[in-house]
Parts: sequence; C-alpha cells; structure tokens
Amino acid sequence: MYGRNIRGPHSALTDFLASNNISAAQIRDEYDRRLADATRQAAEEEEAAAMDQEEPEYEPTPESESPEDKTKKRKRMQAIENIKKSKEFARRKARRTGEPDDDDDELANTMMDEKQRPNPGQLDNCELCGKRFTVTAYSKTGPTGGLLCADCSKKHADGGKKAPAKKRSSGIGRRQNQSKLLDGMSPHGTQSLLETCIKKVAEHIDDVEEFGDLPPPVMHRLSQILSRKRAVTSKTLDLFLRPTHREINIYDCASLDTNDYHKILASMPALTRLNLRFVTPMKDRIFQYIMDRDMNIQDLHLDSPNLVTDECWRQFFTKLGPRLRSLKLWNLDSAFDDETMEIMCKSCSGLERLKLKYLWKIGDKALESIATLKNLEHLSLHFSQETSPEPLLQVITEIGPKLRSLSLDEFPLADDRLLQHIHEHCHHLSKLRFTKNDLCMDKELAALFRGWSNPPLRFVDFHGLRDVDMSNPAGPAEPVGLASDGFIALMEHSGSRLETLNIASCRHISYAAYEEAFSEHKRYPELKYLDIAFQGVVDDFLAQSIFRCCPNLSRLVVFGCFKIRDLRVPRGVNVIGTMGAKLNVDGIAQKEVF
Amino acid sequence: MANNTTSDFVTLVSSDGFEFVISRSAACVSGTIRRMLDPASKFSEALTGRCNLETLSGVVLEKVCEYFLYNEKHKDQTNVPDMDVPPELCLELLMAADYLDT
Repeated sequence: MYGRNIRGPHSALTDFLASNNISAAQIRDEYDRRLADATRQAAEEEEAAAMDQEEPEYEPTPESESPEDKTKKRKRMQAIENIKKSKEFARRKARRTGEPDDDDDELANTMMDEKQRPNPGQLDNCELCGKRFTVTAYSKTGPTGGLLCADCSKKHADGGKKAPAKKRSSGIGRRQNQSKLLDGMSPHGTQSLLETCIKKVAEHIDDVEEFGDLPPPVMHRLSQILSRKRAVTSKTLDLFLRPTHREINIYDCASLDTNDYHKILASMPALTRLNLRFVTPMKDRIFQYIMDRDMNIQDLHLDSPNLVTDECWRQFFTKLGPRLRSLKLWNLDSAFDDETMEIMCKSCSGLERLKLKYLWKIGDKALESIATLKNLEHLSLHFSQETSPEPLLQVITEIGPKLRSLSLDEFPLADDRLLQHIHEHCHHLSKLRFTKNDLCMDKELAALFRGWSNPPLRFVDFHGLRDVDMSNPAGPAEPVGLASDGFIALMEHSGSRLETLNIASCRHISYAAYEEAFSEHKRYPELKYLDIAFQGVVDDFLAQSIFRCCPNLSRLVVFGCFKIRDLRVPRGVNVIGTMGAKLNVDGIAQKEVF
Repeated sequence: MANNTTSDFVTLVSSDGFEFVISRSAACVSGTIRRMLDPASKFSEALTGRCNLETLSGVVLEKVCEYFLYNEKHKDQTNVPDMDVPPELCLELLMAADYLDT
C-alpha cells in the first residue's frame, strides 16, 4: 500500500518504545478495551443492584431468572460462603460484639460489596451526586460505603478534619527576613495595600492585557519590580507604552531587541525622558531614528549601550545635545572616548545633571571637558581609569560654585587639596559623596566642615575613607581618612539637616567621638539612614544612644559591629546586619537563630 | 451615626451604594480618608462620619475594608504575610489604593 511510509511527527517516547518493540498503539488499544470492560461490568452490577432493590423482601424465584442470572447468583452465594469462612470476616464479627449476632448474612453482603468496588482506573458512579467518574487511589468512601467522585471527595474531606497546621521553626524565616530588611521593608505590620497590589500585578503580569489609567509613579514601581524579576519582554513592554506619557523607565532591557526600541520611540512621540538600563542590543540606528524624528529627549539615561559607535554619539550630541538637561551613562567599554566627551561637553551646554559611571575610555581629558559645563548642578563620577588629582581640582574650581550635588566615587589619587577646593568653591551642596580614598587626612576633613559657608548637607557618603595597612590596623598616629575629629566636625556642621549618612568602614572613629556625637542632648531630627558598618567600637550603649538622638531613624546598618549583642529597637527602625544579636522591638522579642 | 464626629465608627459608601461601617482607626490607615475625616477640615465627611467614595465599586471597597482590618489586626506583629488579593481584582484595587493613599 502506498502512503505506508508517511508518518506524522513522532515523540521521543514513541521512538524509544518502538525501538524496544513496544507499540504505543497496542498499549492504547488494550487500555481502551480494559476501560470498556470495566464500564460494561459496572453497568451489569448496577442492573443487579437495581433488581435487588426492587425485590428486597423475598428471594427471587428461580423461574423468573435466565440461566445466566442463575450462575451469577450461585457464584455470589459461593463467594459469600467463602467470605464467611475468611479470617477478615471473623475479625469483623468480633468487632461487632454487642450488636445482634444474627446478621452474619448482612455483614457478608457488605463485605462482598466492598470486594466488588471498582479498582483504581475503573469507572464508577459517585455515591452522592451520581456522576460517572474514574476511580483513583484517592477516591473517598461515602457515608454508605460507596465511592465518591473527585469533587465530592474534596468536599467530603473538607467537611472532615483540616490538614494539620504546618509547624515553623523560629529560625526558618531568618534569611527571608534579612532579605526583606535589605529591600527596605519594615518587619512589623503589614505592607501598604498599594505595594501588595503592585506585587500581585507583577506576579500575574502575563494575564494583564492593559494597565488602564495607572499614574506614572505606579508604573515606575511596576517597572522596577518587573525588571528585578527579569520579566520585561516584548509583550510586557507593550503595557508601558503610552503615547501621552513623557517618560519611560525600564530597568532591564536585556530581553528586548532593536525593534522594541523602535517601538518605544515610535509609540511615544512625546517622550522627554528615556531611562533604559541593560540596553546591550541598542545600535546606531536607534539614535539615528531619534535624530531623524528630532525627538525632544531631555533626559537620557542609558546603561551599557555598547554597540553605539563614537561617531554616532558625536553626531547625536552635536544635533540634539543642546536640549539635554540630564545625561547618565553607565558601563561603556568599547566606545565613548575622551574626544566624544569633549564634543558632548561642547554641545550639551544646558546640561544640569551628569552621571558617568564605569566608562572605561575616559580619563583626565574628560575631566577637563567637564570643567567647561557651566550649568552643571549635579555631578556624579566613577571612573575606571586612574585620574590624576589636578583635573579634578580644576572641575571643582570651575563648576563648584553652582554644584548642588557632588559624588566622587573612588578617586584614589585625590588628596587633601580636593577637600580644600570643595571648602573654598562649593557653597550650595546638599549632597556630598567621596569614597574609598586613603590619602585625605582627618584634619583636612575636619577643616572642610569647620567654618564652611555651605549650608548643612542632606546626604553624606564617606564610606571607605580610611587607612589600609594590614600590618598596622590601628592606623598611623595622625589619622588618615574620616576619623574622630572629622566625624565630630561633620555632625556639628550638618547634623541638623542630615538625612542619609554612610560612614561604613571608616574604622578610625573612636568610641569617645561617638559618645560625643551622640551624647544625651544632641538631636539629629532628619536622619533616616545611617550606615556604620564595620565600626568595631559601636556597642549596645552607643547603638542605644544613636536611637535616642535620631528620632526619625528608619534604617541602621551595622554589618560587622560585633559588639552589638542586645538591642531595644524603637518601632519603625530596621536594624540590618546584626550577627546573632537579640533585638527587642517594642516588646516583640526576636532572637536570631542559625 | 450622623452628626457625631467623635464616633468610633465611620461609614464608607461605594459608588453602587454598598455601605461599610468600620472603626475609625482602621479607616484612617488611608491618607485620603484620614484627611476627609479630619475634624479640622470641616468637610461634610468629617461632620457626618460618612464617606462617599464615588470612584470605588462595592467589590473593591469591600476588599479595601478587608485590608483596613487586616492592617489593624496585624500592626503589632512581625513578619506579616501579604493579604491575599484575587488577581482579577488586582488592577482595580491598585487604582483604589493609589487614590486612597494606602
């Protein structure tokens, strides 16, 4: 027969079975046959049962039965006799003491019925609802001994006993608790309804067809959560595309492709703020598109657009640079060199915010260019190349007077002169970050804050300003980095307005300095976040003093502060990083268990 | 209930006319409702202790009230699990939560 060799798609299992000489078709046929047999058998039983019910009082006369029925009847009688002889029967009978003894027949009959109950895989009618169903090992027995279908089984079970409550050992949640703390969530009380809902929506994002009229802040939060779950795909991206919205924030674009970027730009013509992270597939033609459309992008925040060439960057800045208000770029290693930087600084004269982090190809020259950005108010730099201190001083001298935030991450060669320049030229700072440096002296840091015309700072991050010398852990005689004097000066200058303070691993701040800064009558009313990680001197007493002096504290980071053993934590404060310490929150005790 | 600004209970009315009477302290978890009911505001809501929430349907408001009570019940506990929100109500509830500032 032709066509014999044409076959449909095969599953791997079918192939395997065929190679072992097992035919899937045969298995199926046999299964069908078994099923049919079971159905027929069940139907016959039903008939028999119906007949029993019709004539419950007297024995049916032999004449009214066909020979077939007769044999069946005889077989049943035989089976009952067998049951009566069985051990099981004797056992059951023994259990039924106290009841009339003359119902041997009845007992034998029920046992017979039980025996005839269909096995798993066969069909039966549900005792309660009468529905036909396949018997499984989980089918429950109904009130009169028959089997129940899945639905009735479930209901029946619910009506009975509930599953025993799961036991939780007190230590199990620790990791989760710490994770929540690091996410900034309070360990007591409930989360806000908004947050609960946003999380739920993010969980079921695949079922969402449209967000409707969600306000931008909520969209932003949703985008953050989805990005964190790495759930932003072409499909979910559509939910965020609103022709009328002026901004888009997607923190994980790794699963988007070039077309998706086109889609964003094409469907949101009013866009002024483009904030995309992990944009590896972004290419020149996306920028070309922005230029062709003459889009009014004012805020451009891109993380790792590494396929965009220097040529394209330069073209873009020349053409649309004047409109840019803020530019933030991260992780560029194959393009964006000093020359591009120069063109950028020339063209983007209106730039107010500039953040450049981990740009591998820029160095001293770039700093010189930055010094020409006269309108800059916020500057945040983290260079990968080592830069010499002089260009940085030039930046501070030139644009320092207008700066409102200054963030210098890891400039290992910057020295005391930088601090002097900041003291001299910056008068409007509210945020200052200067980290991981071991050249600046404590006395210069103190001098920075003493008699500084700058109003109190709101945000200070000095983490890692300390001497690193393994052979001399106490540091040199004249303290390097932020130490006692600098710390006291800082708190005196900015304490009244300070909201965030990070002095992690500034190891040379003494106990006495802490005692003075957090003494009885000092108050830091605005302080919300305090990071004092790896400050070995802080103990329970100091921590308690910190709580007293900072009424609005919501987060205290104390990694590596091993002297903190037993704390009474005020409500609303998250203490992060304790090791096996006992924390008492308003009478709620929680001992960390490992 | 009317004319009693100091009553411990307030009535929240949904757009389709369902009324929920819950304790004032629980309802004031919501910033919006708290400002509505602030006696200093002299809003009619503050005077009558009755808030008409025209933007919320009964189904949503019921869930919102459930949250208020859930919040009240668990405010002194640590590690409270999130309240269970049915996925189909989620977006509506999200809008409601945004409006109510909860």
